[in-house]
Amino acid sequence: MEREVAVRIQGLKKEYRLGVISGGTLQRDVQSLWARIRKKEDPNTKVGSENYRKNEKFTALDDINLTVYKGERLGIIGKNGAGKSTLLKLISRITSPTAGAIGINGRVSSMLEVGTGFHGELTGRENIYLNGAILGMTKAEVNGKIDKIIEFSEIERFIDTPAKRYSSGMYVKLAFSVAAHLDSEIMIMDEVLAVGDSAFQKKCLGKMGDVSREEGRTILYVSHNMDTIRRLCDRCIVLDKGKITFDGEVEKAIELYSGV
Amino acid sequence: MKEKFDTLITAKSNPFKLNLKETAKYKDLVWLFVQRDFKTKYKQTILGPLWFIIQPLLTTFVFTVVFGMIAKLSTDGVPQFLFYLAGNVPWMFFSTSLVHASTTFHDNARLFGRVYFPRIITPVSTVITCFFNFLIQFIMFVIIDLCFVFTGAGANVTLYALLTPVLIAELGILGTGVGIIISSLTVKYRDLQVLVGFGTQLWMYLSAVVYSVSSIENTTLKTVIMLNPVTPVIEFMRAGWLGVGTTSWLYLGISFAVTVLTAFFGVVIFNKTEKNFMDKI
Repeated sequence: MEREVAVRIQGLKKEYRLGVISGGTLQRDVQSLWARIRKKEDPNTKVGSENYRKNEKFTALDDINLTVYKGERLGIIGKNGAGKSTLLKLISRITSPTAGAIGINGRVSSMLEVGTGFHGELTGRENIYLNGAILGMTKAEVNGKIDKIIEFSEIERFIDTPAKRYSSGMYVKLAFSVAAHLDSEIMIMDEVLAVGDSAFQKKCLGKMGDVSREEGRTILYVSHNMDTIRRLCDRCIVLDKGKITFDGEVEKAIELYSGV
Repeated sequence: MKEKFDTLITAKSNPFKLNLKETAKYKDLVWLFVQRDFKTKYKQTILGPLWFIIQPLLTTFVFTVVFGMIAKLSTDGVPQFLFYLAGNVPWMFFSTSLVHASTTFHDNARLFGRVYFPRIITPVSTVITCFFNFLIQFIMFVIIDLCFVFTGAGANVTLYALLTPVLIAELGILGTGVGIIISSLTVKYRDLQVLVGFGTQLWMYLSAVVYSVSSIENTTLKTVIMLNPVTPVIEFMRAGWLGVGTTSWLYLGISFAVTVLTAFFGVVIFNKTEKNFMDKI
């Protein structure tokens, strides 16, 4: 039987320009343009910076091909700068690719950093609604889940207190429980579990594993913590310098990455 | 790709395409942003929402002293305070919409860098917030205006007042349109951010807020000032609620055309910017 595709990536490429993006001010850009028209030297180029001239590019991701099936929990590991976060940002539409295409079936929610969009002056309850809406839930959907969210967050007592009075741990717990109760078919997580105490971390991992197994949700998870990868994922890819160097079993991927 | 997907992300996209269907799904978010802005703006202030009313009253009071009592500019026979209030309230709606929309990308860089939602939601919600501020101020203006009308102090409500919703909608669209163009350009050119503050101030002096168009004698200057899309709107507002003002349908038509063009250009440039702005800001 053919498995349902959740995410298919073909020939994906992302380039960033190196050096200064532009003069930063209109005056300088006009100056540079005027110099180019007259075929004179650009007055805004630093001496000796010839190799940083335009068209010098950094390829963060190069020709990525990947198919993730429905219900898979894919771990993504690699060194700093390997392109993990760029990949997640492209899938979650925060920035757009230079070439290639990504096809997605189902709703995507990204938890690239918990608590984004929280407002300190609003109470915990108000923040649940706001954060839920930012992540793509409607008010009615939050209404149906608010009790579960509050219970999961373990901060019932402080739910009507402004969030600015929360400790950082409480903040994270509330933020994570909103994200954990999203309905989206595909969940993208970047190091989100690196925060919070270990008991809460375990609870979150368990919750993510449960929703994936029971409801067939797809999870894309980036982490440097191999322990959480082992516990959550059932498939793993290794990224190195913008390319996929391994795709398959979790243990083998971790072995390769750790250089054993 | 050959298969069908719910969402397809490619390198190129059409900046003329409005994702209305997708944006409509986020309508709850618009209201939550509006609620957030209201709830948080005057937290920990003593006067709270009273500031909505104090602000225009104070500026109008200063206008009355400076332009009315010291400079003695003509107000076409309308009580000075009422005349300046009638110009100031719609102007403040326009200028706050512009200023708030102009910082969209800059203020939300952190949020936009973490989560995807249609970016146009943010300027739309700020203009709605500005509209509610305006509504409170406008109700105050109408009450004051009717007091003057019924005591026979030189003001008349005319049929032009029925145009108010159209005129206000135009101001909101124009302000937001100019704002999002500036916001998109400031991703790369920070200069414009500096310009916004005093630029709107200068714009006000060209918008017949503190004088009436009928008092301008130089015809060239009059034409220039009427070509400013905000001027005809304010003149029509005054004609409706005070009974004085230059009601030129030609210039109002030009003003509408400029608004539509600005909004169209604004959405296109906004759509183009939102795709990659995270790499530039």
